[in-house]
Amino acid sequence: MKEFDIEKLERKNIYTMPDDLFENLQEKVVRGLHEFDLEKLERKNIYAVSESVYEDIQNHVRNKVFPRKKAPVFRLNWAYAAAASLALIFGATFVFNSDDEILKENAGSNVSYTAGTQEKKTESEIAYETLKSDLTSVENNDQKVAAKSNNKSFTSEESEKEQKTVTPAVKSTAKQQETQMSEYLDSFSNSEISELASNSTQDVYLDLYN
Amino acid sequence: MKIKDAEIISLMQHPRTQEKGVRALMDAYQSRLYWHIRRIIVDGDLAQDTLQETFIKAYQNFHQFKNDSQLYTWLYRIATNEALQQINKLKKMQKTDEDPEYYMQNLVADNTSEDAEEIQILLQKAIQSLPEKQKLVFMMRYYDDLPYEEISKIVDMSVGTLKTNYHYAKQKIEDYIKENYER
Repeated sequence: MKEFDIEKLERKNIYTMPDDLFENLQEKVVRGLHEFDLEKLERKNIYAVSESVYEDIQNHVRNKVFPRKKAPVFRLNWAYAAAASLALIFGATFVFNSDDEILKENAGSNVSYTAGTQEKKTESEIAYETLKSDLTSVENNDQKVAAKSNNKSFTSEESEKEQKTVTPAVKSTAKQQETQMSEYLDSFSNSEISELASNSTQDVYLDLYN
Repeated sequence: MKIKDAEIISLMQHPRTQEKGVRALMDAYQSRLYWHIRRIIVDGDLAQDTLQETFIKAYQNFHQFKNDSQLYTWLYRIATNEALQQINKLKKMQKTDEDPEYYMQNLVADNTSEDAEEIQILLQKAIQSLPEKQKLVFMMRYYDDLPYEEISKIVDMSVGTLKTNYHYAKQKIEDYIKENYER
């Protein structure tokens, strides 16, 4: 070949190639961009689970492995049952009755106790009684003995109790004494009464503060 | 508070403390064993029953446990055997014309939570498409990160075979996902 001009040569590819080369190539490039790597995937559980799954499992296992012993149930003969119920009724009745008696006894003691406390005398009452005894002592000429017995009456409980036992007798005689005393007082003149009263106030004072 | 394996073993060995030991054992391993069983069986109720049976068998056969192996290895072995028994029962109950692989993949779709990602669902379906041994090896290695030595004690296979099985399993799963994943 004498003359060769490269510019005049047809520019063509002489190599053979598959028709779908570019299609496959593109697919491969795209796949490579999004290559899947199992190692990079998050390892998590995707199955749905109920909240109480572990609790249920543990309960089931425990019940099967360590069964709880039930309390023994005894069959009771009807005759025994009837006897037991009768015994219960009688027993309850006895207990209630005995309780009533005790209550009554207690109530009686309470009454006596409260009666004892109710009869505590006020100072004015004591003063009046002292005056009265003084006045009667004038009649009886036994003033000192009466005053001593009154002193004992509000200082010691024992003497109070004695007094309580004597009170009905005292009360019956008190009316008689009152009538006697009123008659007796009528026989005194005013000046004599005032003189007696002044003596009695001294006695009351001594009785209260001795 | 986490109780160590040694304490659990000590509690389980004495009759007086056995109940406490069973409780401690369940507290320590219930979650790991449940998910191991669940990935094999997929069905929730069946997985629950299987885990119960696993703990009961562990209690009943605790005298057979030897301290030369790890407690979790022994428990995984019981759980795996129980799960495979359940799968075999299911296969027997299945209709002869029904493809077991297709059945398991449908079960995956039925049991997933609503917020599960598509790629995760696809991964579970890919796992269910694997042969049984590859499935077990892949799950114990991929999810539980168990050493090959421990897995070999659980499934009675050599470490070399396990490595090969894991490699094939991983390859198959990746191919499955590449084929089926739509972006």
